[in-house]
Amino acid sequence: MTNKQIEAKIKQAFDNAAPDSFDSVIADCVEQNGEVIFMKENKKKNVIYKYVAGIAAACVILVLGVFGFNYYSSNYAVDSTVSLDVNPSIEIKVNRNESVLEVIPLNEDGKTVLGDMNLKGSKLDVSVNALIGSMLRNGYLNDISNSILVSVDGKNSERSAEMQKRLSDKIASLLQTDSFSGAVLSQTIQHNDDTQSLADKYGISAGKAQLIQQIVSNDSRYKFEDLVALSINELNLIANHGTEDIGSVESVGTASDKGYIGESKAKEIALNHVGAAESDIYAYSCEIDFESGIMVYEIEFKCNGFEYSYDIDAVSGKIISGEKEKDDDVKPSSGNAGNTGNTGNTGNTGNTGNTGNTGSSKLIGADAAKSAAFKHAGVSAANAKKVTCKLEWENGRQVYDVEFDCTGYEYSYEIDATSGKIISHDREIDDDYTFPSASAGGTGNTGSSNLIGADAAKSAAFRHAGVSAANAKRITCKLEWENGKQVYDVEFDCAGYEYSYEIDAVSGKVLSHEKEVDDDYKSSSAGTGNTGNTGSSKLISADAAKAAAFKHAGVSAADAKRLTCELERDDGIQVYEIEFDCAGYEYSYEINAVSGNIISHEKEIID
Amino acid sequence: MIILTSIIKNGLETQSDVPDELIYSISQGNTDAFETLYKTMKSSVYGYALSILKNTYDAEDVLHDCFVNIYKAAPSYRGNGKGKSWIMTIAHNLCIQKLRERNKTSDFPQDERELYLELPPQASADDKIVLEKCMKALSDEERQIIVLHAVTGFKHREIASILGIPLPTVLSKYNRSIKKLRELYNGGESDDQ
Repeated sequence: MTNKQIEAKIKQAFDNAAPDSFDSVIADCVEQNGEVIFMKENKKKNVIYKYVAGIAAACVILVLGVFGFNYYSSNYAVDSTVSLDVNPSIEIKVNRNESVLEVIPLNEDGKTVLGDMNLKGSKLDVSVNALIGSMLRNGYLNDISNSILVSVDGKNSERSAEMQKRLSDKIASLLQTDSFSGAVLSQTIQHNDDTQSLADKYGISAGKAQLIQQIVSNDSRYKFEDLVALSINELNLIANHGTEDIGSVESVGTASDKGYIGESKAKEIALNHVGAAESDIYAYSCEIDFESGIMVYEIEFKCNGFEYSYDIDAVSGKIISGEKEKDDDVKPSSGNAGNTGNTGNTGNTGNTGNTGNTGSSKLIGADAAKSAAFKHAGVSAANAKKVTCKLEWENGRQVYDVEFDCTGYEYSYEIDATSGKIISHDREIDDDYTFPSASAGGTGNTGSSNLIGADAAKSAAFRHAGVSAANAKRITCKLEWENGKQVYDVEFDCAGYEYSYEIDAVSGKVLSHEKEVDDDYKSSSAGTGNTGNTGSSKLISADAAKAAAFKHAGVSAADAKRLTCELERDDGIQVYEIEFDCAGYEYSYEINAVSGNIISHEKEIID
Repeated sequence: MIILTSIIKNGLETQSDVPDELIYSISQGNTDAFETLYKTMKSSVYGYALSILKNTYDAEDVLHDCFVNIYKAAPSYRGNGKGKSWIMTIAHNLCIQKLRERNKTSDFPQDERELYLELPPQASADDKIVLEKCMKALSDEERQIIVLHAVTGFKHREIASILGIPLPTVLSKYNRSIKKLRELYNGGESDDQ
């Protein structure tokens, strides 16, 4: 039975086992949400509203034109809205001259901060100074909660960006106090109906809504509604625990965690609960996170053959949850060994630290493992990026898990830690790869001199799709503005699929991509029995594919047992999946059905 | 261009992910779109829940609550073409919640409960055998990898990201699981761990 057949059986079993309780689900949804609104009926009404709204908008524009639009827009029209969020949220609306038209507190704390100050007519800088001073005096910004979010929503993107930078710098300097330093998050937002409707729904500023959207977008564990109640300092803490990048939000300074028990205390609580000493544990990690409505320290570590995972209330230190699982990677009979050998990042740990290894065999070391991986991949060590090498237990033996990126691909290797043999390997497109631009170093989006050009954008898309330019049909490439940055929208068809890409026009990075079945596609090779890989290309025969696999494996066809060969479509290309056993090993191959190239292969000992 | 009516009519069999349009449409109260999503994703959500909870009643609860939450949260869904991940995240959180509810009186939620499988009439005896093998022969992590790949259709790289484990580990555990299941299915020896 092949892997695909087993997968199909599993899928069928779960499909049949899953109950169909849609009626019960929809009944509960309707009960909770009130009446269900059907789209089709609404559309008719919307058309009328749209006409009315359109006529009304036209009238307003006409009136403004008659009575002097320029004078109005310079002095009375809102040019930019600046929002300051800590827990107090305040919006400041200014005209084109940056004179304050209105200051709106968005919550009770905002009202406290504003007090009886009348800032109308003041300059923006002066008003911000006054509001920050009030936040400090009222204790909203202090060494426990030191983060503030500044958001600029303006008509002119360049002016907004300049205002964001200026205000961010100013506030950062105001928050350099004797007792603490502030952390300033800043962003420029464009008017966005989605963001605004969320802001209105939850009674928060558009700026905070945008920040939460960024966090949710970066980490799908979070839900928008769960994060609404958090202060900016808490959002800053959970958003920055792993990386500094919060989408387009710029971050200066470090969010304070002084309101919490601290990592070392949380670790101590977890260790006490297990009854382990610090020296007993390894593979330790700690993150501050937001779980089930509270801030927690997420602590994970391994100890004595078990993996532990704790959520500890960041304020009270109470253990919210703890999990203990058998560590599959630890050899059962290894006694107390393996603690120091598990990091595997330094070249010599293998020889001295891996007392859990069988017998007296020595490990090759991380450097040798990495070298073996580089050699196999045809990559020089100097060109490999984000190299990681971890020593793990797998199937009762120690292996090095080696991962690295190089020129648009992510490589993963499993290498036998004793023999140095490659057990498995994988190469995938690196979605985050930045295509080298013609003018390297340009980070700004302004102007067109830094753009990579349509050809480079198309190449980046083809490369990501694994499609050759010659096989792509109906190619279009348009330069567009998207969320304040220039992007190339690249679309093309190939082998029965429609591809759509958004490529950053400056960095060449693939921002989004989509691949859909082309309903209009007609296989050009139907007559030959080949179901269309590249239009006119013919497939190699199954025998040729098997021969390629045997040759690569160094196995003669006569010696191969339990041989299977199936033609499959994988990621838009047709491949032969070949499996066979020989001399105690199980071999698996994926072979491009057009070119005959080996896409992936694996060799495993038959237990 | 995806045409929503076509998706609703024909289902999502040819889609690699849940289209954003479908969820946007649900956020506007389109129950046809919601039903299409339910029919497409129910096995994935139920399978994943069952793989964690090992109890069909609890998995049914998660399936129900998950789709109620999807309906409620659809207006806050923010695209990026990751609908499937979004749905499975909701399912995952509900499973964790369920484990916590179960283990309120215990320090460790990772329980050692007996497997409980009660399947609907449409499930055949063969289906039951397959599910029992998945539940009994595989470790929790192996079972989740198998379900996320075979039932939900996630790629190994995506599973590595979802479960927070290295890709080679996912690949080797996947291969090991398939091998165990094949041996069991062929009437060979069960795993010897």
